[in-house]
Formats: sequence, C-alpha cells, structure tokens
Amino acid sequence: MSTATVNIGHVTQIIGSTFDAEFSMDKLPAIYNALKIDTEVKGLKIKVTGEVQQHLGGGRVRCVALGSTDGMVRGMDVTDTGAPVSVPVGKGTLGRVFNVLGDPVDGRGDVQHDERWSIHREPPKLENLSSKTELFETGIKVIDLLVPFVRGGKAGLFGGAGLGKTVILTELIARIAAAHGGYSVFAGVGERTREGNDLWLEMQEAEIGSTGRHVIEQTAMVFGQMNEPPGARLRVALTALTMAEWFRDATGADTLLFVDNIFRFSQAGSEVSALLGRMPSAVGYQPTLGTELGALQERITSTTRGAITSVQAVYVPADDPTDPAPATAFTHLDAFLYLERSIAEKGLFPAIDPLSSSSRILDPLVVGERHYKIARRVQQILQRYRELKDIIAILGIDELSEEDKLVVHRARRIERFLSQPFLVAEPFTGKKGKITPREETIESFEELCDGKWDHLPEGAFTYVGGIKEAAEQAERMAKA
Amino acid sequence: MAKARAIIKRLKAVRNVRKITRTMELVATARFKKAMDRAVEAAAYTRKISEIVADLSQTLSGDDSAAASFSHPLLQKRETEKKSVLLVITSNRGLCGGYNGGVLRLAQARIREARANQIELGIEVSGKRGIGFCKFQKIPTTASYTHFEDKPTFEEVNALATRFIDAFIRGEIDRLDVAFTQFESMSRQKAVVQTLLPIGKLEGAAKTTKSDVEYEFLPSPQEILEEIVPTSFKARLYKCFLDAAVSEQIARMVAMKSATENADGMIRSIRAQYNRARQSQITSELSEIIGGAAALE
Repeated sequence: MSTATVNIGHVTQIIGSTFDAEFSMDKLPAIYNALKIDTEVKGLKIKVTGEVQQHLGGGRVRCVALGSTDGMVRGMDVTDTGAPVSVPVGKGTLGRVFNVLGDPVDGRGDVQHDERWSIHREPPKLENLSSKTELFETGIKVIDLLVPFVRGGKAGLFGGAGLGKTVILTELIARIAAAHGGYSVFAGVGERTREGNDLWLEMQEAEIGSTGRHVIEQTAMVFGQMNEPPGARLRVALTALTMAEWFRDATGADTLLFVDNIFRFSQAGSEVSALLGRMPSAVGYQPTLGTELGALQERITSTTRGAITSVQAVYVPADDPTDPAPATAFTHLDAFLYLERSIAEKGLFPAIDPLSSSSRILDPLVVGERHYKIARRVQQILQRYRELKDIIAILGIDELSEEDKLVVHRARRIERFLSQPFLVAEPFTGKKGKITPREETIESFEELCDGKWDHLPEGAFTYVGGIKEAAEQAERMAKA
Repeated sequence: MAKARAIIKRLKAVRNVRKITRTMELVATARFKKAMDRAVEAAAYTRKISEIVADLSQTLSGDDSAAASFSHPLLQKRETEKKSVLLVITSNRGLCGGYNGGVLRLAQARIREARANQIELGIEVSGKRGIGFCKFQKIPTTASYTHFEDKPTFEEVNALATRFIDAFIRGEIDRLDVAFTQFESMSRQKAVVQTLLPIGKLEGAAKTTKSDVEYEFLPSPQEILEEIVPTSFKARLYKCFLDAAVSEQIARMVAMKSATENADGMIRSIRAQYNRARQSQITSELSEIIGGAAALE
C-alpha cells in the first residue's frame, strides 16, 4: 500500500466463490493479501474483497472472495492492497457489530479506532503462554460438577441439530458476561442471522451485575452468518479473534470469546477447498482441515499478559462425533460438553451427557479432593445405570439385585437433578433461572449419592437449583 | 466401522439374553403344569378339611354345655399379642418378574406395622431371593430355608408346621402370618399376608353356617376336633407353599415371555441401526473414492 504505484491486475476466471486474477509477474500479491474490486458494471456497483490463497504461476493468483461474486466479470480491475485484511481494534469496537471485513453493520456510523490489525497473526509464543489452571464457575450444576470450565481455557459445546447449543451459549453469555468485569467478543459464524439479532437486542437490555451498565457496552460482536458466502464464514472467526487478541494484549484484561459455530468454519473451508483445487479427504472434508482449525484455535489462548476464555459451539453432523470436523475441534479444548439427543428427548435441559463430557481440570489437584470424588461417584452411578438399561429393557426392573435397584433409583434422580432452569429460557419455561454456587452443587450431589433424598419422587428433581429446592418442589407436588 | 462393530457386539449380547429367556420360558411352562396339578389337588383337600372344622365348631357351639367346656388352643385368639412370627415365602431363583417383589413389599409392610405396635416379630424366610433381600435391607431373620423348591413335600412342611404348633401352644408365639403369593387362577395370582395361627374364623365357615347337614360324631366331636384342627393348619400351610410354587412358575413364564418379546424388539431395532450404519459407511467410502478419482482427473 505504501508504494506510490498502485498494483492493479484483472480478473481472469470466476468459479463460484473463488476467482483468479492476473498481475504483472514482478508484482505478484503475497499469499493472504487482500485484493479489492470496486467497479460498476451496467449500473451495478460491485465491491468485493478477495484473499489470495494460491499462486498459480504466470502472474496469476487464486483468491477466495469474502463477499458475493455475483455480477463479477472477467477483465475487471483488481487492486492489491498489499496487506492482509485488517480490522479495527480497540475500545471503539465495544458495543458495535461488525462484518468479516471489520466494517460496522449496526448502522451507527464509523468506528473510532487508532489501529487496524491484520486478521492473520502468529499464535503466541510457547514461552508466553500462561500456565495457570483455575476453575471458572458458571452456576450451572452439571457444568460446575462434571465439566468444570478453565479460566483462560477453551470449552466446546458439541451437539447435533436442535439440542440447544445456541441456548447454552447464550445462557453462558448471560451468566458469565453479566458477572464478568472484562471484555467479551462474540463471533457468529454461519448460524442464523435471527439468533444474532436476538442476542444483540438481549445484550442491550442485560446489565452487568448491579453497575447499571449494559453488557453490550463491554462486548464487540462480529457476524458472518449462513447467508454469506463461504469466504466470509471462513474468515469471520479470525476477525473476532483479532479483536479479542487486542483486548488481551493491549489491556491485559480477562477477555471472553464466544464462537457459534466453529463447525461452520470447517464447513466453509470445505466449500471452497474443492474450488481451490484441493483433493477432498475423509468424508469429503478439505485435506487441510487440521491445519486450518489449528491456525485458528492455537491463537485462542491465554498468555502471561492476559487471558482469553473461550466457549465454542460445535455442530455435530448426524449426531456422529467421529465426523472429522468435530473430532478435530475436540482435541483443542479443555472442557468438552457433549449434548445428547436421548437426554433432550426426555425434556431434560441442558442436555449435557454426563458420561461423554469431560474436562481437563476435573482433577483433585485443581477442583479439590471432595469435588473430584463426588463427581466420580455421580458418574459411576450413571455409568452403572446405563449398563443396566438393556437388562431393564428386556427383563424389567424386578430382575435386578437390590444393590442395582438402588443404583437405578438414585441414577434416575441424579439424571433429573442435572437439569436446571436457565436465565435466558425464562420466557419459555416460566421458571426463574437458577444460579447454583459450586459449594451447594457439590453438597447437593453428595447427599443425593448418600441416599438422603431417596424418598422424594423423581419429578421433584427436575428443573431446580439446589437440593433444598427439590424438597420444596416435592412438597408443592404433594399438595397439588 | 468402529460404530458398526459396537452395534454388532451389542446385538450378540441381546441375542444371548434372548436365548436364556426363551429357555427359561419353556422350562417354566413345563414345571408350571405339574405344580398346578399339585396345587389344585391340595386345594380340594384343604377346602374340605376347613369345612369340616367349621362344621364341627358349629355343632359344638350349638351345644351350649360343650361350647363352654371345649375349645382348642389353636383356635383361641390371644388378647395381647406380644410375640409374632412372619413366614415369608419367596423363590430360590430369579427371572420371575415381580413375583418376589410383591411378596417382599407386603412382608415389609407387616414388619413396619409390627414395629409400630411394638410386637416382637420373628422373621422366617424361605427362598434365596428373600434371604438376600433381608440381608440387604438389614432385616434380622430368625430362620431361613432354601430347600423348598417347586415341589415342596408334605414332610418338609409338616416339620415346620409341628414346630409352629408347639411354639404356639407353649405360648412362645401369639400369632403366625405367612406372606406368599396366592394362586387364584391361571391369570390371577396375588401376593397376600395371611394369618394362619390362631385359626380364627375359618374360611368356608360363613358359607356353611346355615348348613342343614347334621353330622353324627363318633367317638365325640371334641376328640375329632382335637385331631383335625392341627391337621387343618398343616394342610393350609402346605397349601401356601404349593400356591407359592405354582405362582412362581406362572410369574416366571409370563416374565420370560415378555422378556423374550422385548429382546426380539430390541434385536430388530439394533439390526436396523446396524444396517443404517453399514450403509452410510459404504456411501461415504464410495463418495470418497469417486471424489478422489474425480479430483485426480
């Protein structure tokens, strides 16, 4: 950009959401450079940014368009900006909504910023990584007990269609961001635009603690939803991440990064992969699946300067967690929540599977001996119940030994007790959201495992906070 | 592939279970027939002997002087009930649905009642299932038997009955209850707790009260009663065991039949799951090969 002469080439080929451009041999744009097209064809204004992905030889480069290629024709002028796409960073981004290029889309005018950062950055160096391990309380029983989040770590919400990934994510925003002093960045990747809009409106209403300030004032949002071309969905996560990185590196504040949905990032990659001429790999995904995701995920880390705590939703196609996209995402996470259809079908939300979900820090050294033991006991009971399910289905519950009957009795109660009313679901369930402190959660489950509450009916355990509320609910049920 | 193999493994496990339940069903059907014959035969005898006892006591009560002078100790209801025995009849083997559960539930209710009334309750349990249950629930038992199978013999029951009679007459126990499953018909069995001692109002007594039959007794009603009352008790106790045995077989038959059906349903759904997994695997492999080949062109 700094050179006096502007480097101009022209379009030679357009294939779907990719296009080729030809430049003079000595002025070939570098990989990841942003190319701009800004012309008019038959009265139609065409403004597209592309990102160089490949050098084809002979001065030609192949690019992914970050916008729609509709109306583009061969021979159009293409300007090399001389640098990758850059987005505004800084406190001016707070309270605003952006697209993949860092342009505001909320109709509130220009964004105040001193700096623009390139969306392609190096991940932090090994020596700068933070080694702290600290629990991050959410007030959701099943998460705090069985899948504790790590402060400055990454948590993934895996689940098939319609299991409530987005609801849990919004709930976490409502719980964490509302109680949290630092900054939040939300990336909407390839999900419904309506959900993004709902979230935006909700954040404008929600207040942070009792400070009287709104959550939106501490949040930057970036959207590249389903309607946008794959190039946009492929890069929008990086745009959001770059903004979050600025908060981490420049202010040192605790930053939250929410991504919904990281699978769409891989999906967008696979959509353009074949157009770029790469041979499809397992299940038709791009061969570079691991590399692409690694480049993104490795940047979402905490350094000695500041922390990024990230929660990501991961769509699991056809409820098959062995699908390469979710399987690749899985390896990057500290806490792993798997949403199970059979639990959702029972009407128990959050439908987090207590046995498939796991967390790196469910370890006596981090959460403490007592918490660890109780979490394991709960899992043991549920595991035994799952093993017995086939037997019960065939022979009936009467054939079980007395010990096993007790296990089933308690497991059914624990299963129900793992559900919890959500703050964001209040209008739907009519129940007030419950925040249960970790201490209370542990105590409740300990008593439940010890059999102190065996006498309550199963229904009393659904959608309550602490165990005392279950007792109250049982009383109400008895009266009704 | 991993998924398909896991499904196959599960399918095999369910098939094995089905094999067992199917066999158990057949075995129970065969045993049921014999047990049923025995129970029906004993039923007639028990009913008749109860009738006779009822008639006799009727005759005696009609005769004013005799009624005042005679009464068999087994017929007397004690005014205060201090010590009592509960005999629980369960099966030695499982795989019989709710059979044991029903009996034990009633037995537990009786135990609770006794505790509430501060009655010293001795619990005797027949059958491994019941023994295991008491051990688990930490209910102390005074005696346990495992030798009553599906063919209880009169001798075995007689030994038990004699002991109860002696204890009752000596005043060591004031009441004997039996928790067992009563056989009413092929399709109806009910878990009950029956009081066998003292022999209160006898069954059939109500029906035969207005009986016009006048017996003539030789040597005398008292002497006959002396003999027949304990026999009647023994017959009734024996009947409890026979009823329990036949009910067990029926319960097992029904439970195993539905278990086999459940297993069949499960096998069908697992098969469908497997076919789907296999098909999608083939589809994805095919599309990968075709895609790969197309990309190479």
